[in-house]
Amino acid sequence: MNTTDTEIRSRIRSYITENFLYMRPDFALGDDDPLLERGIVDSMGVMEVLQFIEEEFGVQAADDEITEENLNSLDAITRFVSGKRSHSYAA
Amino acid sequence: MCGIAGVARRGSEVVSVDTLARMAAAIRHRGPDGYGFAVNGRVGLAHVRLSIVDLVTGAQPLANEDGRYIITYNGEVYNWRDLRRELEARGHVFRTLCDTEVLVHGYEEWGVSLLNRLNGQFAFAIHDRADDSVFLARDRFGVRPLFYSLQHGNLYFGSEIKALLASGEIEAAADPRGLDEVFTFWAARPPRTPFRDVSALEPGTYGRWRDGGLWLGRYYELDYPEAGEEHVDALQQLDALLCSGVDFRMRADVPVGGYLSGGLDSSITCALAARSSPYTLRTFSVTFDDPRFDESTYQKEVAAAVGSQHAIQPIDASAIAAAFPDVIRHAESPLVRTAPVPMYLLARLVRDAGVKVVLTGEGSDELFLGYDLFKEVAVRRFCLRRPQSTARGRLFDRLYPYLMQGNRGGEFWRRFFLNAGSMSDPLFSHLPRFQLTARIKDFYTDGFREALDGAIPLQELRSLLPVRFYGWSPLNRAAYLEMVTLLSPYLLSAQGDRMSMAHGVEGRYPFLDHRLFELASALPTGSRLRGLREKEILRRWASRVLPPRIGNRRKQPYRAPDAPSFFGAGAPAYVAEMLDPATISRIGVFSAPAVAGLVRRCRNGQAAGFRENQALVAILSTHLWYSEFLEQARTATPLDVRGADVLLHEAESASLMIA
Repeated sequence: MNTTDTEIRSRIRSYITENFLYMRPDFALGDDDPLLERGIVDSMGVMEVLQFIEEEFGVQAADDEITEENLNSLDAITRFVSGKRSHSYAA
Repeated sequence: MCGIAGVARRGSEVVSVDTLARMAAAIRHRGPDGYGFAVNGRVGLAHVRLSIVDLVTGAQPLANEDGRYIITYNGEVYNWRDLRRELEARGHVFRTLCDTEVLVHGYEEWGVSLLNRLNGQFAFAIHDRADDSVFLARDRFGVRPLFYSLQHGNLYFGSEIKALLASGEIEAAADPRGLDEVFTFWAARPPRTPFRDVSALEPGTYGRWRDGGLWLGRYYELDYPEAGEEHVDALQQLDALLCSGVDFRMRADVPVGGYLSGGLDSSITCALAARSSPYTLRTFSVTFDDPRFDESTYQKEVAAAVGSQHAIQPIDASAIAAAFPDVIRHAESPLVRTAPVPMYLLARLVRDAGVKVVLTGEGSDELFLGYDLFKEVAVRRFCLRRPQSTARGRLFDRLYPYLMQGNRGGEFWRRFFLNAGSMSDPLFSHLPRFQLTARIKDFYTDGFREALDGAIPLQELRSLLPVRFYGWSPLNRAAYLEMVTLLSPYLLSAQGDRMSMAHGVEGRYPFLDHRLFELASALPTGSRLRGLREKEILRRWASRVLPPRIGNRRKQPYRAPDAPSFFGAGAPAYVAEMLDPATISRIGVFSAPAVAGLVRRCRNGQAAGFRENQALVAILSTHLWYSEFLEQARTATPLDVRGADVLLHEAESASLMIA
């Protein structure tokens, strides 16, 4: 299984659009848009996103990895998921 | 406690008693014990009575000695005996043993300055037959409601908006700005209401209508003249005012009970009430099957400690959903929380127990900085002074432990609070709440957004802040904003007066005795919030009357089950109807595809956060509100004029004037 970053980003984008932007269909979500600051996902929503990526991509986030650096944009989440996956394959 | 209504016409057309009978019928729940009318040419007054004081001769409307002044009055004036003695010394002759008559003579003697002499909770109207003017007034903090509408110079007023609509002369229509304020502040800010051309008389103000014009004035201003140090007698003064405030509010010719949440404030009022009650005190609580909301362990402990006869109203999700339409009918506004529903059901329990008056602990959190919001202000300011410090940010975890998801994601909570706004913004304290609530607006249709015509509720609020606001400390600014945006428009109305009066139960508020407010607002903020310990001075005092476990207990926010209550196998049929695409499109406030997405998530159990829960409650309640008030034009059967306890008319009033 070799999911590219583009596919990862696309699946996360779909999830966020369907679950957090369903009420704002005209919203243009940029890859590096900060999810919290732009009011796309609230702090409770971050936990939903986390649950999604853990189930969808089979990665586990340690408590100290639940940070804005890892989860606050499509790009950040993609990097985080991709990094976790390559780390787990390497192991 | 009662309901009032009336009409004053600009022209020569007389007010029909039938119009008054319709208006009174719409608010009969406020006064099931009797009713009366006064019709004098172009001014008519109506009254529905809940008999609490002077059960024999206290019927209304009521005139002074010569029939010049006629009053319809809802409320209680607790210092009426002192005022009566003063008025008798000045030659006024009294015919009853109730506080109503003090108002009518007092207005005759002192005019508007009467209001500053009153200690109580009231809304009333006085018709001065000499110049056909009508004087309207409302208590300092807005405990009792009073709405009015001016249509082509004609004045319509009443305790509830449904009384105005029942006149048949006011079109029921939505005010988009009023609705937008509900979805910002949790309630429209007086004078605005969710109804077009219907205003709420602001707390601490009065109005005088004459010949088609209405002049408004303010007699009471909230102020925070904070002292640098706690006065050496502060605890003694607090003791005297708490005891006096409760003693005042125990005065009634019927038994007085108490609401008991199990928290500090209601425990104090119940402990003091039990001491001064001639009967075994009856106390009443809501309990929840969901342990996140339930406080029954503490309630039982306090009830045992004060020796009350205790009764409970169990609440589960199905009870919330079943009663919600009735709650909206009584609240007369969309809601963003279901929290009024348990209060509605609790008042029903109180009424069924044969009790008409209850003391509550409302107001204490505002006076003594009890809400988490005040701690939040302190923590946000502390963090923003050194934004790079992660240790400071962890204070939020202590503040909101119940919001932490198994200790995961704390950084996001902290970021939410720290990004909410600048310390230089006068609304700094409330921006997290206002911004979170305003997420409901994500669901607006474009058409509704256009109808708002660029109005921004936060900008309007900023522009209306009094100049002295900027001289107050950050915590006192927060306390003021809490008083004017939430206490009166929401807590005392949708969660207070409207829910209890729906069942003819009068709430009394010892913490909202203005003398106590003035004591608290002059205390150093450190006497009220010390570190993260709220109500510091009150806790010090409470050790005299409460078990330590209650006196030291941390405040638990009052919450009730929300969005999930409306889904599942037992959901009432109205939910599907109110969330149907056809209903959504017909009403036009919220976008049908957006609501469909929300409903799908609610049905799947995915709508777990504040944002979607409040949106669901807001949308559902808005549609119920539209359906109830704007689409159905419900009409109550007019009260039978022949059955009235009082019917003052031109001839009788004239004879009074001659006498």
